[in-house]
Amino acid sequence: MFKEMQSLANAQMTDASPHKVAGFYPYADNGGTLAAIAGDGFVVIGGDTRLTTGYQIYSREASKLTKLTDKTIIGSCGCWCDSLTFTKGLHIRLQYYLYENNKPISTNATAQLVSNMLYQKRFFPYYVSTIVAGLDADNQGAVYSYDPVGSTERHRYRAQGTAGSLIQPFLDCVLGRGNQTAPEPEKLTKEQAMIYLKDAFMSAAEREIGCGDFLQIMIVTPQGVEEERFKLRKD
Amino acid sequence: MSIESYNGGAVMAMAGKECLAVVCDKRLGARLTTIGMNHSKIYEINPYLYVCLPGLATDALTVYQRLRFRVNMYELKESRKISPQVLCSMLSNLLYEHRFGNYFIGGVVAGLDPATGKTYLYAMDCLGAITIGTEGFVTGGHCEEQLYGTCEALYRPDLGPEELLEVASQAFLSACDRDAGSGWGAFVYIVTKNKVELKSLKARMD
Amino acid sequence: MTSERYSFSLTTFSPSGKLVQIEYALAAVASGANSTAIKASNGVVLATEKKQKSILNEEHSIFKIEAITEHIGMVYSGMGPDYRLLVRKARKIAQKYQSMYDEPIPTSQLVQRVAYIMQEYTQSGGVRPFGVSLLIAGWDKNKPSLFQCDPSGAYFAWKATALGKNHVNGKSFLEKRYSEDLELEDAIHTAILTLKEGFEGQMTADNIEIGVCDKKGFRRLTPSEVRDYLASI
Repeated sequence: MFKEMQSLANAQMTDASPHKVAGFYPYADNGGTLAAIAGDGFVVIGGDTRLTTGYQIYSREASKLTKLTDKTIIGSCGCWCDSLTFTKGLHIRLQYYLYENNKPISTNATAQLVSNMLYQKRFFPYYVSTIVAGLDADNQGAVYSYDPVGSTERHRYRAQGTAGSLIQPFLDCVLGRGNQTAPEPEKLTKEQAMIYLKDAFMSAAEREIGCGDFLQIMIVTPQGVEEERFKLRKD
Repeated sequence: MSIESYNGGAVMAMAGKECLAVVCDKRLGARLTTIGMNHSKIYEINPYLYVCLPGLATDALTVYQRLRFRVNMYELKESRKISPQVLCSMLSNLLYEHRFGNYFIGGVVAGLDPATGKTYLYAMDCLGAITIGTEGFVTGGHCEEQLYGTCEALYRPDLGPEELLEVASQAFLSACDRDAGSGWGAFVYIVTKNKVELKSLKARMD
Repeated sequence: MTSERYSFSLTTFSPSGKLVQIEYALAAVASGANSTAIKASNGVVLATEKKQKSILNEEHSIFKIEAITEHIGMVYSGMGPDYRLLVRKARKIAQKYQSMYDEPIPTSQLVQRVAYIMQEYTQSGGVRPFGVSLLIAGWDKNKPSLFQCDPSGAYFAWKATALGKNHVNGKSFLEKRYSEDLELEDAIHTAILTLKEGFEGQMTADNIEIGVCDKKGFRRLTPSEVRDYLASI
C-alpha cells in the first residue's frame, strides 16, 4: 500500500512539469509489524520494536504499542512521525472524552474515533497501519484494523505492517481454520494466543528484514493490562 | 502491476523424511480476471523430479519446452537420468542466457533420490539466481511472501508422507487465500521412494 | 579466395573405400613415441617415453601428460603440436560442462566430445586429420575409466593398452601381465615394464613421464617419484 501511494506521488511529481523540480516527499516507511488476537475475556496485541528506514535500523527499542485505557491498546506503525503524531492527537481526544463524559472511553468508541480521525486527513493521510485491540462492553476481545485513511473492520485476529502478509495467513490457518474439516479445538486460551503470536513473529523475523529485535506483547484482561517482552532475531 | 504477476499463481515444495511435496495452485488469470481454473504450474521431469514455473504462463510454457529439450538431449547423450542438481543448474543457465530480455518466471526444482531418500530443493529468480532450500521448503509465485510466513511457522522437519501432505496443504492454502492472484484449489504431488500421488485440493473459489 | 580454393575435404575416399588420410594419420601415430595406460581397480596409470633429441634439451619444462580437469588426464602418441590443440579443446569442453551442469564432466562425455572434434577434422574442408591417438584416464564417482581416441574419431574403452612404435609388443606384453584385480601401485610398475619393452637405451626419470588418476584426482608424478619407481623394478 505504501509503495503504491509513494509511486503515485512520485509519478504526479514528475508529470507535473517538464522542469526539474526538487521533490517533496513528506512520507517515510519506517516499517514495523503488528498482530492481535482476541478471545473470550482477553485480547493480546504484539508489535516488534524495530524501527527502520530502507536497510538501516534507527532503533531496536521503538515501542509501537500504546495503552489508551485499562481496556484498550492501540498499535500503530508505518511512517513513524505520523504514528507519533496520530497517537498524541488520539490521547488528547481521549482526554476530552473523559472530561466531557466522566468515564473512560469504551473500546468500540475508540475504534470509531480512530477511524474518523484517520479519515479527517483523507487528502493528506497519516501513513500508518493501525490496530486497536481491547475488550468490548461484554468483556469479549475485540480487534479493529485500519488502512491509512480509516477504512476499518472488526476481526478475531489481524496482522498488519511490513510482515503482515507473512503473519496473516498463518493466523488464518491456526485460528480461522478455513481449510480444515477437523473440529475446532477447545476454546482459545490466553496462553495459546500468546504462543501463536510468538510463533508468528519468530517466523516473520526469520524471513522479513523489516521485522525483528524484540516482540512487545500487551495482554488485556478485565483485570487490566500486562506487558511482556520476547527476543526476536536481531539481524 | 509487473508482468511477472499478470497470470498470478503460486508454487511451493516441501521436504519430509524420505518424501517430498510439490504444490501449485490452479488459477490462471489475466490481471484481475480469472480465465482458467485448472492450470498446473508443475512439470514432471521424471517421477522423482519436478520443476515448477510460476509467473507469466506463456513464458513458463516456452521455458518448459526448452528445458525439456535440453533434458532429453542430456539424457540421450549421457545415457543416464538427470539429477536434481544438474536440472537446477541447467534451468539456471537457461534463464541466465536471457539475462537481458529475460523470461518473466521464477523456478522451483524439487527432487527425491529414490535410492537414498534424500530430498533436493532449489528455487531461483527470473535470471537464474539459485537459492538452495536448506530450511526444508522453497516457494515461488505471486504470494511468495504469504507462503514464507506460513511455511516458516508450520513447517517441521522429518515429516512422514501423510503429515507432509497435511502441513504442505495447510501452509499453501492459507497463503493462497490471502492472495487475490492465486488459489481456486491446488495440486499436490506427494513423492515417496516407491510411489507418487497426485492430489487435487478443493479450496475457496474467489 | 583462400577459403574457396580449399573448401573441399582433404580426406576423400580412395576407390577401394579407404580414407587414406586417416591411415596416414594412424601411421604417424604408429611411428610415434610409445605410450601405455593401465586401468587398475583403484586408479589408472598413464606412462609415456619422452626421448630427448639432444642432451641440450631442458628435460622437465614441457610435458606430454596433461591434466584436463581435477579428475581427468591424457597422453598421446603421434604429433605433439596436434596434441596440444586437443588438450586446449578438451579443457574448454570440460569447463563448459562444469559451468552448464555444475558438476564435473564424466570421462566418457569428454571422450565423446573430443572424438567428435577429431571426426570433424576428417570430413571438413581445408583441414587434415589429427596425427595423434589419445589415451584419456579419468575417475568418476569411485570408478576408474580409460579410453583411447583415434584420428578417425573412433574411441575405445580399454583395461590396458599401448600406442606408438612398439604398440604391438606392448599390447601382447600387457595381455600377459594384466589381471582384473590389479592395484594402482602394481599397475605403475607394469606400465614402466611395458615401456621398457623396446625402449632404446637406459630408462631414467628424465626420459619417461607418468601420470596417475585415482580418487584423489589426476596428477603427474614428479621426477623423484618416477626415480623411486624405477629403482624398485
